[in-house]
Amino acid sequence: MKGNARKLVVLAVLTVMLVLSAGVPYYTGQEAAAQDDITICFAFQDLETEFWVAGHRAITETLRDMDIEVIEVNGNQDANRQYEQVIDCIAQGVDGIILIPQDGESAVTIVGEANDNDVPIAVFNRPPSDDNPNDAIVVVADNEIITQQAVEYMAEQAQLQFEETGDKLQPLILVGDLGDPNAVGRRQGFYNVIEANPDLFEDPIEVATEWDAATALANFEAAMVANPEVNFIFTSSDFLYPTIRSVLEPMDKWVPVGEEGHVILGGLDGDATACMLMLEGYVDATGVQDLFYEAEITMDALLAAIEDENYWPNEIIPDPGFALTQGNIEEREMDMWGCVLYDEGFLDE
Amino acid sequence: MATTTNEREFPITTAQLARWYDIVRESPPVVFGIKWLKRFLFSEYFILYLTIIYFLIMTERIQVLDTPLNLTNVLANAWPLLAIAIGQTFVLLTAGIDLSQTSVMAITSVVGAALMTTNVDPLKFQNSILWGNIVTEEGGLLAGHQYAVELAILAMLGIGLFIGFLNGMAIARFRMPPFMVTLVSMTFFSALAIYLTQSNNIRGLPEDFIKLGEGDIISIYVGEQVRQISRRDVLSFVTYPLLIAAGLGIVAHVVLSRTVFGRHVYAVGTNARAAEVSGVPTKRTIILVYMFSGFCAAVAGIIYSGRLQAGRPTLGENLLLDVVGATVIGGTSLFGGKGKVLWTFFGVLFFVLLSNTLNLLKLSAFEIDIVKGSIILLAALIDVTRTRLLARES
Repeated sequence: MKGNARKLVVLAVLTVMLVLSAGVPYYTGQEAAAQDDITICFAFQDLETEFWVAGHRAITETLRDMDIEVIEVNGNQDANRQYEQVIDCIAQGVDGIILIPQDGESAVTIVGEANDNDVPIAVFNRPPSDDNPNDAIVVVADNEIITQQAVEYMAEQAQLQFEETGDKLQPLILVGDLGDPNAVGRRQGFYNVIEANPDLFEDPIEVATEWDAATALANFEAAMVANPEVNFIFTSSDFLYPTIRSVLEPMDKWVPVGEEGHVILGGLDGDATACMLMLEGYVDATGVQDLFYEAEITMDALLAAIEDENYWPNEIIPDPGFALTQGNIEEREMDMWGCVLYDEGFLDE
Repeated sequence: MATTTNEREFPITTAQLARWYDIVRESPPVVFGIKWLKRFLFSEYFILYLTIIYFLIMTERIQVLDTPLNLTNVLANAWPLLAIAIGQTFVLLTAGIDLSQTSVMAITSVVGAALMTTNVDPLKFQNSILWGNIVTEEGGLLAGHQYAVELAILAMLGIGLFIGFLNGMAIARFRMPPFMVTLVSMTFFSALAIYLTQSNNIRGLPEDFIKLGEGDIISIYVGEQVRQISRRDVLSFVTYPLLIAAGLGIVAHVVLSRTVFGRHVYAVGTNARAAEVSGVPTKRTIILVYMFSGFCAAVAGIIYSGRLQAGRPTLGENLLLDVVGATVIGGTSLFGGKGKVLWTFFGVLFFVLLSNTLNLLKLSAFEIDIVKGSIILLAALIDVTRTRLLARES
């Protein structure tokens, strides 16, 4: 009987804990503002790469400096979770939404939900897929052109090598998730250059990464073992440089520009790691998205829509970007956001 | 009388303490309190009471929690989760577990979408083995067909049943551990979904299908009479997901509580050996239970695909914690033999309310998962304690 009483007490305590533990986050969570005039929901899919970390920081810090309440929600790479988070934001009566979607398809659905509820929405850097019928401010880099610029420089280096050896080069591209229009544009930019130089390049090898470092490592390693002659590599995102290095180094292919065995290497994003590797001479060219410009223009356009009570702003704002190469790095180094962060010690944090 | 050191220091003997304890324990308010506590803790509506208490507490702190729009969101999130959790309830009742449910959602989502899509990007799909036979530039195999949606849904449900059959066969006939079998299934079918689509989502689903995930049948407006009601003030009331999940729930409840098969499910979960000796067709019961679980996962796949307006190879990738969590919180025992569909409904309600409040509290995804994990652990502890106490009481 005594044992029963003790267990009953334990059960009661556990029950109280269950209710309280569900409520505990209230005390650790950010304080609800409500007093501020404008509240913006910032829904991002994850912070896996330097680009997203820096973009997240640029947006949240700028908005808070402007005394704007920011509700941050992290979808953790789950489209349904992000959808539920956004409709919860709408229920909270936010004035606008900045969205970094999981992919172009889920962006269409979420933008439609915002349109239905009269909440202006801006999509940052990862646009809705091409068949999007809904209205949004879309800020996006011209991935195809920026990639093309970077790969054109790489092709010039390849031409020099071809003239020396007389051997065609074997190109390889690490392709992103093709559900993301950014990945599609980058792949197209790469092929524009390769197909324009049929005498210079063999047929390219494609390695699927799905924007995932582990997947990229497994597939890239397998591709390099099967094709050790690869000597021209383009990565669709700079965050894969450590992955590339981990495969090339044991094969004695991680060699700086100008030394024998150098693999012509390029990418796109313009992050701090890419900057460091360019300065060290391992990377030939990198396409640069102007992150700070994109963050600023996203916020400006969304705040203007909120002020004008324009619930369905519909505008595509391109980021022209540029290619930082070993040929222009001395003049344009500090135009690349990753070099600014690198200079500030971002990689040491 | 010999006294201990403590008794010398404090002028109260252990005998006196024991007498006072008996007096207090037998006093009417305490007797009433214990009775009330027992009734509360042992009630089959225990988790519903908890949900209500939690809701009332949090309403005080989150102003928008009880607004009609937010309540609509909570219910909209509950229906697909309920559909899949009903299947998990059946499996847990047999003392098993089905980890493959999320992969069933993914594979049914992409196959159904591939069959009925009207919009395919060749660039994305030309490397897929579906290209040229099931998917072409004109769309899916059933694109434009009069019964495209119905046939695609039948295919999705059929795949769910088939995967459940494979799981059930491996567990019942070959006596393999459910955890291992369904873990392998999960890995295999998740990878297959990604392989079939080369990791691409499939859009261009027919409107009739999208409706199943988010369409309203009856909408309501709460507020003053105005000339024009804005879209954001129109709230979903009766929706297709509600009808699907509620229909599935009612059927599942009747099957469990009113049929011989339902009794077999409980018997297998309580003591499989005893059930077998008593003439219960345990193997057939287990196979049917896993088939039903696959069926429910396919139904959830239909609702989630419609809701997200795409066939997604990664659909439900992070949902397993929610499914098992909601079912266990509802009171269904991980050891089998105890549970009800109604309890699962309460568990789902608590779980989606919890997720909703965590979102409204602006916590990060990681903090949300930590809280959810802790609560599932506590719920499991409560389940163990309640089960033991109930056994002693009876």
